[in-house]
Amino acid sequence: MLKRDQWQDLARKLDWELSYVDERAAFPEAVSGKPWLPHREWAGWDEPFRTTYAEYVAQQHAKEAAVHAVRDAVGRVEDFQRLARSWLSAVKLHAATLPLAEFAAVVGNLRAARFGRDSAWRTTAAFGALDELRHTQIPLLVMHDLVRWDEQFDWTHKFLHTNDWVAIAGRHLIDELLLTSDPIEMAIGTNFVFETGFTNLQFVGLSAMARIVGDRMFEKMLQSIQTDEARHSQIGGPVLQVVAAKDKPRAQYLVDKWFWRSWLFFAVVTGFAMDYLTPLEERRRSFKEFVEEWIVDQFDGLLAEYGLSRPWYFEEWRASLSMYHHMVYASAYTHRATVWFDLVCPGPAERAWLAQKYPDSFPLVDPVWEQISSRWRESGPDVEWYTHGATPVTFCDLCQLVLCGGTPQRNSAQIVTHNGRRYAFCSAPCRWIFEQEPERYQDHKDVVKRILAGEAPGNLLELCRLYFGVNQDMWGKDAERGHYPWLKRG
Amino acid sequence: MLVPLYGFLRGDTIGLVVLCDSDDTMAQVAESLQRAAAMRVAPRPGQRVWFDGRPLDPRLTVARAGLQPLDRIDVAPEDP
Repeated sequence: MLKRDQWQDLARKLDWELSYVDERAAFPEAVSGKPWLPHREWAGWDEPFRTTYAEYVAQQHAKEAAVHAVRDAVGRVEDFQRLARSWLSAVKLHAATLPLAEFAAVVGNLRAARFGRDSAWRTTAAFGALDELRHTQIPLLVMHDLVRWDEQFDWTHKFLHTNDWVAIAGRHLIDELLLTSDPIEMAIGTNFVFETGFTNLQFVGLSAMARIVGDRMFEKMLQSIQTDEARHSQIGGPVLQVVAAKDKPRAQYLVDKWFWRSWLFFAVVTGFAMDYLTPLEERRRSFKEFVEEWIVDQFDGLLAEYGLSRPWYFEEWRASLSMYHHMVYASAYTHRATVWFDLVCPGPAERAWLAQKYPDSFPLVDPVWEQISSRWRESGPDVEWYTHGATPVTFCDLCQLVLCGGTPQRNSAQIVTHNGRRYAFCSAPCRWIFEQEPERYQDHKDVVKRILAGEAPGNLLELCRLYFGVNQDMWGKDAERGHYPWLKRG
Repeated sequence: MLVPLYGFLRGDTIGLVVLCDSDDTMAQVAESLQRAAAMRVAPRPGQRVWFDGRPLDPRLTVARAGLQPLDRIDVAPEDP
């Protein structure tokens, strides 16, 4: 019997010279991506897993069985009810932003399965599409039973169907990265930058934290997904290798653009979870320490292997690593009714931990928490609105996230006029991304522009209820309703 | 006439939309932004509106200052 490597390429490398149709017509640049290169330039495309379909089915079957066994053992409502409330908020944040984004990745992978420029790439992308379908289904299944207990878990499915500001930002990212990008941009933006660089934070780092807090279901779910990510992320490297060799500026541009966009997403989702929503006694490392290990040390080395430079804004990024998610979290806490999960007010012990982990940046944010704590002391517990804003906040016209760049001493927002219209950007990289392809972004309205156009209410309560899709019963509140032992007077 | 501005208060973590009347003075604009951000930054006296790198006279109105819709203003002490 032939060994696998003796026959596999007969099934996996199935390209031939086209004679009935021009190669450019079969793989048009608009759908296959830039730079357009004849197939001979892609013929050496390969990735290390070289999985066969039979192996894929057997491995996935075993993984599914393992996830279901864990769910049967520790995936019941009462198992989640034993967990810390703050940790459950991390689960709700992750659960909402994960499954339907993964479903969008099915579409992106299927496009690559048809228009990727080499058959081995197309085969791996077909497996990637099946992977992402699984990543859609697992969290929907696991979280579904929890909805009857806690309505906030309903946002696992509902989130991306709403006009909540986080969902608008999520769609702006996902629609471009997964639904509309060509296979080359998808491979570099998603498989290389997003999955090789950043998802380790979520699927390895956060998974380790889930184990420590005792959330075995979440841990198992993330680990199971990560094994798929590790395989299909390998699409990115060989695509980047060809693009970097033939059109280095294009390769660098795609890396720079998607590194920044991915960073902002993970700073919010993973930064919140690691530095604020994980109970203090269970924290081992800060978000920054995870990023330094997984991004600075590992991803940075990978770029050099492909002859690429660090993104041009690298120093600005290093600075934001210590500040951005702290700015966003304090802002989100004081506008918590605009989201679908509860937030925690860090007490003296948490703030001391944050100051120790972020000695140069957190002291600039700490006075904000001192003021919030002082307002809680004045109002007493259960008075949510004394520590809550009533004014609409501002948003970036590129990432659609809040204008929380820079520092409390100097916000990095920039206002730019383009074709007679005003645009706000949270940072220089967001402005730079917009200015590379303004026609791609210029017609999208952020929440403020929607309010000014009369498409969304300006009153914050109406904005929440009528536009964001949250209501008083389930919108975000203080996780402890202000009943913190450290807030007690006298 | 209503003039929406992007307002950034020194010490705050986020920009807020400040909806001003064109007759509002800079002192009123500074007070308005401080009030809107008071749950994060305690209001303090002597704050000035800064625009385009310079502090504006507190008696100046939005119209006289030439502020346009969606301009950026900062509210910070006169001597930063």
